[in-house]
Amino acid sequence: MESFRAAVGAALLAACMSQTASATTQNVIFNGTVNPTCTLVIATNGTMTVSPDLQSLSSHNSGGSPGTVTLTTTGGVSLSVDPVTSPTVPSADTTSTTWTPTYSATGAHSIVETGSATSITTPGADLVSVHLAGAKGGSNRFASGNYQATVTLRCE
Amino acid sequence: MTHVPTLAAALAVALIPAAAGAQSMSPMRGEVNSFTDAFAVRVFPANPYDQKIKVEVHVYDQDFQPVDARISPSVFQLGSQASRPVLVVVPFGGAAERKVRICTESIPFPNQQTQIRAQICGKFFGHRKS
Repeated sequence: MESFRAAVGAALLAACMSQTASATTQNVIFNGTVNPTCTLVIATNGTMTVSPDLQSLSSHNSGGSPGTVTLTTTGGVSLSVDPVTSPTVPSADTTSTTWTPTYSATGAHSIVETGSATSITTPGADLVSVHLAGAKGGSNRFASGNYQATVTLRCE
Repeated sequence: MTHVPTLAAALAVALIPAAAGAQSMSPMRGEVNSFTDAFAVRVFPANPYDQKIKVEVHVYDQDFQPVDARISPSVFQLGSQASRPVLVVVPFGGAAERKVRICTESIPFPNQQTQIRAQICGKFFGHRKS
């Protein structure tokens, strides 16, 4: 009887040892959605200077500088500037001025200077330069005094 | 009619983003179904600057003409790196659907010769369900 029990126990042990421990795995799924976003951070405002013939007041002129803006986007947005409205001019300036805002960008996207809307399809960060040029025609000239204008840079 | 804003506000909950971080405005896209004569959107303007700025929220149509929407609040000061919710309730004006732009605007550095107004606009589409 003793030897029978030992034989059965040994057989069961051998059977158990032949079984391999089965490991189980389970996947954990992560989902995420990035919606179109756009951040504009204005670094500097621009400065306009007058041309020697006094018919141009522009950030392109010598001594002038563009405004600079950092753009960070996921893509899927559009960048544009609005026409300038209601600039402040000195009282001595009674003639009309044509104001032309433009912008260009360097960085993840390269945008050649333009006044039109630009579609940005890919993500990235850019440094946007915003220019403003005022022009007078005929015999009209810019007068002495302070000029001020606001350029709206839009990301949508 | 008095509970229109409440219902509209409830519908706006669907557009609340999971997190409103250092963005100028989120969300920038949205589609809303409404059973009332108005639809609502909750947006989150954010201030990415290291200084307090004045923020204005405006609503425009497809041609950038102002829309008579209720904006709460429409003008406010926003602290550095802060964000806050703004509720916009847009009337359908008798139409079955309406597309609007909700724009966050700020001039962080005023009183300069050439100042730049940063404008972030989101596009939102409201459908009126009967």
